[in-house]
Amino acid sequence: MNPGDRVRVDHDGATDEGVLMPTTDEAHLVLKLDGGYNVGIAREGADVELLESDVYDVEEGEAGGGEDSEIEFDEDLPTVALVSTGGTIASTVDYRTGAVTARFDAEDVLRAVPELAGRANYRGRVVADILSENMEPSIWQELARAVEEEIEAGADGVVVMHGTDTMQYSAAALSYMLDTPVPIVFTGSQRSADRPSSDNVMNAVCAVEAATADAAEVMVCMHATPSDDDCALHRGTRVRKNHTSRRDAFETVGGEPLGSVDYEAAKDGQGDAAGVSFDSEYTARGEAELAINPDLATDVELVKPTPGMDPAAWDYLDGKDGVIVEGTGLGHVHTDLIPRLEELVEDGTTVAMTSQCIEGRVCDRVYDTGRDLLDAGVVEAGDTLPGTAKVKLMWALENARNPADAMGRDLAGELTEESQPWT
Amino acid sequence: MSDDARDYEELGLVAGLEIHQQLDTETKLFCESPTELREPEEATHTITRELHPTRSELGELDEAAMEESRVDRTFEYLAYDTTCLVEEDDEPPARIDEEALEVAMSIADLLDADVVDQAHVMRKLVIDGSNTSGFQRSMLLAQNGEIETSEGSVGIVDVMLEEESAQRVEETEEGVRYSLDRLGIPLVEIGTAPDISTPEQAYEAAEHIGMLLRSTGSVKRGLGTIRQDVNVSIAEGARVEIKGVQALGDIRDIVANEVDRQVELLEIRDELDARGAAVGEVSDVSEAFADTDSGVIRGALDSGGKVTAVPLYGFDGLVGREIQPDRRLGTELSDHAKRAGAGGIFHTDELPAYGVTEDEVESLREAVDAGEDDAVAIVAAGADVADQAIEAAADRARSAIEGVPEETRGANDDGTTRYLRPLPGAARMYPETDVPPVEPDPSEVETPELLTERVERYADELGLDEGLAEQVAFGRRMVLFEEAVEAGVDPTFAASTLESTLTELSREGVDVASIREDALLNTLLLVEDGDLPKEGVNPVLTALAEDPDLTPEDAMEEAGVGGVGEDEVREAVQEVVERNAEQVEEEGMGAFSGLMGECMGALRGQAGGDLVSEVLREEIQKRA
Repeated sequence: MNPGDRVRVDHDGATDEGVLMPTTDEAHLVLKLDGGYNVGIAREGADVELLESDVYDVEEGEAGGGEDSEIEFDEDLPTVALVSTGGTIASTVDYRTGAVTARFDAEDVLRAVPELAGRANYRGRVVADILSENMEPSIWQELARAVEEEIEAGADGVVVMHGTDTMQYSAAALSYMLDTPVPIVFTGSQRSADRPSSDNVMNAVCAVEAATADAAEVMVCMHATPSDDDCALHRGTRVRKNHTSRRDAFETVGGEPLGSVDYEAAKDGQGDAAGVSFDSEYTARGEAELAINPDLATDVELVKPTPGMDPAAWDYLDGKDGVIVEGTGLGHVHTDLIPRLEELVEDGTTVAMTSQCIEGRVCDRVYDTGRDLLDAGVVEAGDTLPGTAKVKLMWALENARNPADAMGRDLAGELTEESQPWT
Repeated sequence: MSDDARDYEELGLVAGLEIHQQLDTETKLFCESPTELREPEEATHTITRELHPTRSELGELDEAAMEESRVDRTFEYLAYDTTCLVEEDDEPPARIDEEALEVAMSIADLLDADVVDQAHVMRKLVIDGSNTSGFQRSMLLAQNGEIETSEGSVGIVDVMLEEESAQRVEETEEGVRYSLDRLGIPLVEIGTAPDISTPEQAYEAAEHIGMLLRSTGSVKRGLGTIRQDVNVSIAEGARVEIKGVQALGDIRDIVANEVDRQVELLEIRDELDARGAAVGEVSDVSEAFADTDSGVIRGALDSGGKVTAVPLYGFDGLVGREIQPDRRLGTELSDHAKRAGAGGIFHTDELPAYGVTEDEVESLREAVDAGEDDAVAIVAAGADVADQAIEAAADRARSAIEGVPEETRGANDDGTTRYLRPLPGAARMYPETDVPPVEPDPSEVETPELLTERVERYADELGLDEGLAEQVAFGRRMVLFEEAVEAGVDPTFAASTLESTLTELSREGVDVASIREDALLNTLLLVEDGDLPKEGVNPVLTALAEDPDLTPEDAMEEAGVGGVGEDEVREAVQEVVERNAEQVEEEGMGAFSGLMGECMGALRGQAGGDLVSEVLREEIQKRA
């Protein structure tokens, strides 16, 4: 008896007929009844009779549903590369855990989001098929190379489909690794693609339109509000996921987004940047020469001191190439931890300070603790977001002449020179 | 054709019911929001969304959902200060509400149904906007029950526990506006087997199930809190699901009218078959109406639209044939055209009319090569809509040749029905991955006392008379009555206050519905404790209805009743006795009834008669 078989189950004097569904529950078998409802029946005391084998191919059911979409080249339309790393924008149910997992390629995305048709000539490409919590720096490097190849091959813009958990880290990584003459737009969905209300359709449509616009930046394109009205375009190094579940979870920290996409206008677009507008300065299309510097130091940690923390928690930092401290307030740690950081710096670790406040700039000149930190050799990362700072240091250690110095300078829009009030 | 003329057995009538009942739980099924309804004006913010059809677990697309999605619509949702992110579909659902699960299990118990070993929450795809998620969460909770009717037993196929949909507020230019207050209220859906064979039995079964539901004391009451769907088919006909029968009493008519409709459609089929009828090709006939004065057609043409037509060979006279009171085969074609966005159709059985002239009808017939045995249906609308709507009407005409189409219909207020959408299939089901399966334990659930049993107990044990017992047991305040009796209130007084007194006040225009339950209970207790004379109950309840935030004590003050203690009563009584000292000395207790009226008058209803008579008796005795 296998999943997909039609069976009859006698139990407790009752009889049910249906298709056996996959499950990892040892105590129950799961039957899909003719009305479509699934029901769990205790295996103990259940008498199962096979009626017909393989009525459904349940494992492949979801992806195998449609015909291959016939994709024709239209020379009036721009070319957009769709690069997938997995995530909820293209996900389906996982029978192992019962939760949602990702298993789509770029063509499946076109099938899943038919609204993308007619906007561009698409080049599909799968770099990874992972949930974004499983992201690794090596995949950032593969992703950067894939994006570079796509641009090299003539893509007028790149859309990266990415899980939302770590999207901001990948966007930051590509911001440092690539000099790009075209837009690179990250998008995903907060509400999984298997629900009719998923934000995937609007996010993808807006991302494709943004990818055909003039800003050759690494951006994140996600809902600006809980409504299906506007997407915001965030700079890849200033964006942060600030809510666990809302559609408008992504926000530009410390300023307004780079731009926005009006969905109503984008819907009628044809890869002509419909509905896209920018509110800040940006690098224009074609201004930069395509270049890639994908090397990363992987031995970098992001640590967060909290009251009562066991100082031994920082023992493992021995020998690291770099450490980003997400300090308290203006950029502090418990006074007792300062010697520890001094030791690290003396051993050759680059230690940079950011803040748990998320908003605002670190300043270690104000209080004694701060001054002691500076004396210990800790460098300030300005208003760089902690997560971005980690990615930046990984990159700077391999690519900058003086990584410690680089942490205090703006490389890819992550650090502002002065704090302008914006709210 | 009258109802009695039908021999339902011979026609092979098979009907089943689907009953949806809202549960009166503290919180919603998958979040902690309250289950109270709000006024649209109370909305604090709105969100707008679109929905897109998705595939089922088995990779299929649901036909009803696909038809829905052909119309590009934006949904607007009204949210309140009680709305949470789960209702806005911006947060995963919480676990299943325990209270709802318990009530649903006691309903299963009353229906003699077996609770499943493990319930799996499913997503039932619904993309008309009535669920922010685009699906209704629903789980199969019990199966294989049975109820009795005077015409035999009716099987209960399944009992589902699911989420109520959002309330439709109004159509907007872009789509539909919904209110989120109702979304997520626990709803029990009961599906019977197709064991029902007459309209009367359908009514009886629905009434009995309604009684069982109310016996739990945990279901919502009032308009819209219970809805009946009816499935009807006759031999050679087809299964038609009729949605949204609001009044129980309409069920007989709905079933009888649907039987009539299917009988008529089968007669039309036979006639069409005999005539060798066929549906022709759709074409653009705008030219035939180039100079028309018909308002509808002129309007469409002038705004860049067109007129499309389909010849219905052999249909002459049948399109206009009545199949339900005031509804024709043409109405069915029109319903389908409306689904595609058109205002409706015109057909040659009703033309010339609506400003369309004899000559235009002639040119129309010529244009599509239709003779006098044929009919022609036309749609005038914007170009895209005109094309889609005429195809929809043509499809419906084709199924008329086959017989009765399977479909979902909506109940109209007059007992007739209209086309809503294709029958939804199993293809719309997808597992709700955000909620793990639960293993319900029915052994802890107590079997509720049936309302019919309750009536007997109220009469036998609490001494209520039959009529009052039935009123209370079936009434909305049954639970409150039980609480009052439990707290020591005299049963007959509690029952007559909660039923007769409130009904009486309501007739006088007092808004008794706004009185809070705890205030009602406390008012009864005040009387029981002797703090409020029975004569003061009406004024207190009236005051509570005017200002529901008052406590009954405040209301007493407001109404100027009660609050008079024994000392004041004695003072007033002594005054009366003093004034009539002579009479008392002469007549002794014989003066009682005369003085009683005077005392009550002096106290103006602010003290109970029992207390007054007791004190008066004492005072007379002192003098005598």
